[in-house]
Amino acid sequence: MKHLRKEALTGVVLKKFILIFYALLILVPVSIVVLASFKQMTDLFKNPIGWPEQFSLSNYIEMFREQSLGQYFLNSTLVTLSTILFILFFSSLLSYAIFRFSGWLAVILYGLFAAGMMVPPQVNMIPIYSLVSDLGLTNSLTGLIAVSISIFMPVAVFILSGFMKSMPKEMIEAASIDGANEWSTYCRIVLPISMPSLSASAIFLSVMVWNDLLFPLLLINSSDKKTLPLALLQFQGEFMTNFPMIFAGVIIASAPMVIAYVALQRYFVEGVTAGSVKG
Amino acid sequence: MKHSKTLYLFVLPGLFMYLLFFVYPTLNGLVLSFTDWEGISSHWNWVGFDNYKRMLFNDDIFQTALTNNLKFMLVVVIFQTSISLIFAILLLKNSKSNVFFRALYFFPTIISSISVAFIWAFVFNPNVGVLNLLLGKAGLEALAQNWLGDPKLAIYSIAFVKVWAHAGQMMVIFVAGLQSIPEELYEAVYLDGATNWQAFKNVTWPMIAPAATIVVAYTTIQSFKAFDLIFAMTGGGPIYSTEILSTYIYHTAFQGSEFGYAAAQSMGFMVIIALITMGQFKLLKGRSS
Amino acid sequence: MKRGVNMKKITVTILMFLISALVVAGCGNSSTNSGKEAGESSGKTTKISFIHWRGEDVKVFDGLIAEFEKANPTIKVEMNVFPSEQYLANAQAKLLDGASGDVFASFPGAQFGSISKAELYAELSDADFAANYSPNLLAAGQKDGKQLAFPYQLVYNQPIYNKTIFEKLNLTPPNDWEQFLQLCETLKKNGYIPIAFPGADIGPGQFINSMMMNNNTDEDIWAKVESGQAKLTDEWFVRTLSQFKELNDKEYFQKDSLGTSKDIAGSLFAQEKAAMLATGSYMMSGMKQQNPNIELGLLAPITVAADQAVYEGIHTTTFMLGVNALSKHKDAAIKFLAFLSEKQNAEKYANGTGQLVTVKDVSYKTPELQHSATWMDKKTRFQPRYLIANAANEKAVTTSVQAVIAGKTAEEAAKNAQALIDQNIKK
Repeated sequence: MKHLRKEALTGVVLKKFILIFYALLILVPVSIVVLASFKQMTDLFKNPIGWPEQFSLSNYIEMFREQSLGQYFLNSTLVTLSTILFILFFSSLLSYAIFRFSGWLAVILYGLFAAGMMVPPQVNMIPIYSLVSDLGLTNSLTGLIAVSISIFMPVAVFILSGFMKSMPKEMIEAASIDGANEWSTYCRIVLPISMPSLSASAIFLSVMVWNDLLFPLLLINSSDKKTLPLALLQFQGEFMTNFPMIFAGVIIASAPMVIAYVALQRYFVEGVTAGSVKG
Repeated sequence: MKHSKTLYLFVLPGLFMYLLFFVYPTLNGLVLSFTDWEGISSHWNWVGFDNYKRMLFNDDIFQTALTNNLKFMLVVVIFQTSISLIFAILLLKNSKSNVFFRALYFFPTIISSISVAFIWAFVFNPNVGVLNLLLGKAGLEALAQNWLGDPKLAIYSIAFVKVWAHAGQMMVIFVAGLQSIPEELYEAVYLDGATNWQAFKNVTWPMIAPAATIVVAYTTIQSFKAFDLIFAMTGGGPIYSTEILSTYIYHTAFQGSEFGYAAAQSMGFMVIIALITMGQFKLLKGRSS
Repeated sequence: MKRGVNMKKITVTILMFLISALVVAGCGNSSTNSGKEAGESSGKTTKISFIHWRGEDVKVFDGLIAEFEKANPTIKVEMNVFPSEQYLANAQAKLLDGASGDVFASFPGAQFGSISKAELYAELSDADFAANYSPNLLAAGQKDGKQLAFPYQLVYNQPIYNKTIFEKLNLTPPNDWEQFLQLCETLKKNGYIPIAFPGADIGPGQFINSMMMNNNTDEDIWAKVESGQAKLTDEWFVRTLSQFKELNDKEYFQKDSLGTSKDIAGSLFAQEKAAMLATGSYMMSGMKQQNPNIELGLLAPITVAADQAVYEGIHTTTFMLGVNALSKHKDAAIKFLAFLSEKQNAEKYANGTGQLVTVKDVSYKTPELQHSATWMDKKTRFQPRYLIANAANEKAVTTSVQAVIAGKTAEEAAKNAQALIDQNIKK
């Protein structure tokens, strides 16, 4: 911070030390697991930390040969993308309405959704299952997507309402006086200016939806509809004592998000901040 | 501000989905909490407030789980908030190395909690575990512990993992909050001869109160819901020492086949979270004004 | 200006997502062709769902299912496996639906109790394949004189030991408590971990069976404890706990045993660092896989004097196969169950997975299975832990074992566990 007084040399050293220490705290466990995924079981026990005796891709090869990983990727992608799209559409409409409504109606709507963030999902697992089952949607991606939309919508409403609170009311009012109806105000003004927080919520939520385990576990039976985390859980059952194999599974399941993160790192970070601070 | 009837249509699709797939099942849970339903059969009896009485007066494990949960929450909220704030301050400037460190610190956030649990269960393992081995190599054998197997320690080990996984995310929120503070404010106090600490106390802290509110509220709710992590690392053991409310509810429902009682516990759980978050908002709001 | 920049970012983001989706979709198509073809050709087939919790058996079942489908071209079996904790949680919800679990596995004891109470087992008393099973091993699947499920596996829930180590040190399975302690002492002196004990997960629940089997030989003891007629603070249970404590305090378990999961305890045993593994016969095949040179046997601690010992070991009949009462394809489901019950198929299952089965006259090929099979002639007791009806009580009991290992006195741990049981009686 340039406006602060020049920091003493010890301060700089201390700062670097802290930063590097925490960086190692993240890198070391992750790299141990990455290395372990290239080892064989016996190699891992003799030498849990170091370099593998020989880099062997056999765990990955077996994983890909045995499992319909492509299908799981596809399912996870489909579920994540459609959930996010619907959530963004629904919650931006909702947040805009909450922004426009005054008084108790806004409070009740906002409260209803904010309360949803507090409900632990373990609570309504069984009632949700009975409902989905009554609707004939168990073991279908449609059912899973419908439930995911509803479970994660409160977070999006929270972020987007937070952002929209900061929109200049005069601008919106001026637009409606111009004779534009609500829909075109929403499309022409509100959507464009809330793009940063929309994309932010999209990324924030896609991490959550992609990694969700509870509802896929509850709702999906057949292997052609499994998502990646669900498959990961099954690897664990199948290769119980085989850590390297499980770690290979962990890495395969995490890979898409990690790649997306490396490519789009800035947007991930913005995802967390938008709305949450401006509110 | 006037608004047209179209706005009601705006609310409809989202509200409909939410009411159908979330609110209705939750209310269903409320109804169940007054029954002795065991989870499968179609027969059940109304039991009035029995489940609630049992939860409050005749269930030591519920008390244990609540205590553990508060302990876990306190540790996670205090450490996660302060660590993320410290790193946000250290990494505030958008220099190349700072951006790199921020990206790295944020990284654990994107790994699923079940994967995080696998990673740390392996690191903490006392027999093949890496942590005790590394401590030994560094000549710190004395610090080696039974990280997840010692009932006094296990909950703190998991709290550590929780902070590890999410501090980076919270840091990013603080960075954004800090970067939105106008520089003139600092210039003004430094002109008045303020120390760094005074500048922090009088400018930074009040100005990041909104961000802090978000961080604390979010961390609190997350720490109450830390189900996946505990479930995959210790399952609530040893000796109930890492049983928190969400795992206990799960055990009551699915191991104990007592859905009615589990539903009552869930309602109690929601009330507790609501009270705590409301209290925090009050406290932090009071601070910022 | 700013808006323009943001829009560009968004476009990039969305494009990236779309591209990755396309790439992934491409991969997906190429690798799932076989599945699609099968789906298309299955014009009029019946699809039944088979759910269970044994991930390690998947390959063997895949083979059996392929044979079954070949013999019954109109039936397709879709198998789904959940790890056992998740299985307990999800099976009931899935059964209620009627769409999955046409054939399903279940645990004896509490799970069998609640599924049968909910009337989700189709009655199988008249099934002619019942004759394939050893009649004395079917009781766990019976209720009110009806056969609701067929226990498929026979398991001995007592420690397995490394024969080579025992022979090297001239040790034999002990006949009383003194001998058992001596055995452990000798192993310890020779640098072995006497008992690998997975205290973090299944250890307490498994080892308590053989530790208590002779301390209280009453088959109804748990029913009495759960109704308040007997207490955990009674002498026999306190003695059982203090014997656990003795093993722990003399360091006969590995270090930090409460932090050790079954996989790790298993590895200690497979690497011949530990001489005994306090789990059960179901882990023998896994151990053999990890270390093909290991020679395995079963033993149980006798916690009393030799002349007072009534039981030699613990058995469980489990992996109980039933047909969902709500199934739309009961006939096909029963056909599949009958297929698994045939001797040659049970044999394939047994030898492929290394599990004993309840089907009669099966010939076991591996030395481990042959050794375990000799236990069928011994005096064993049905796993007492499964006779605890309430899961919270069961947990209170197994937790008291962890408590003495963590340093509580046996009396204290018994008192705490009894307090929890009192609450469950009172509820």
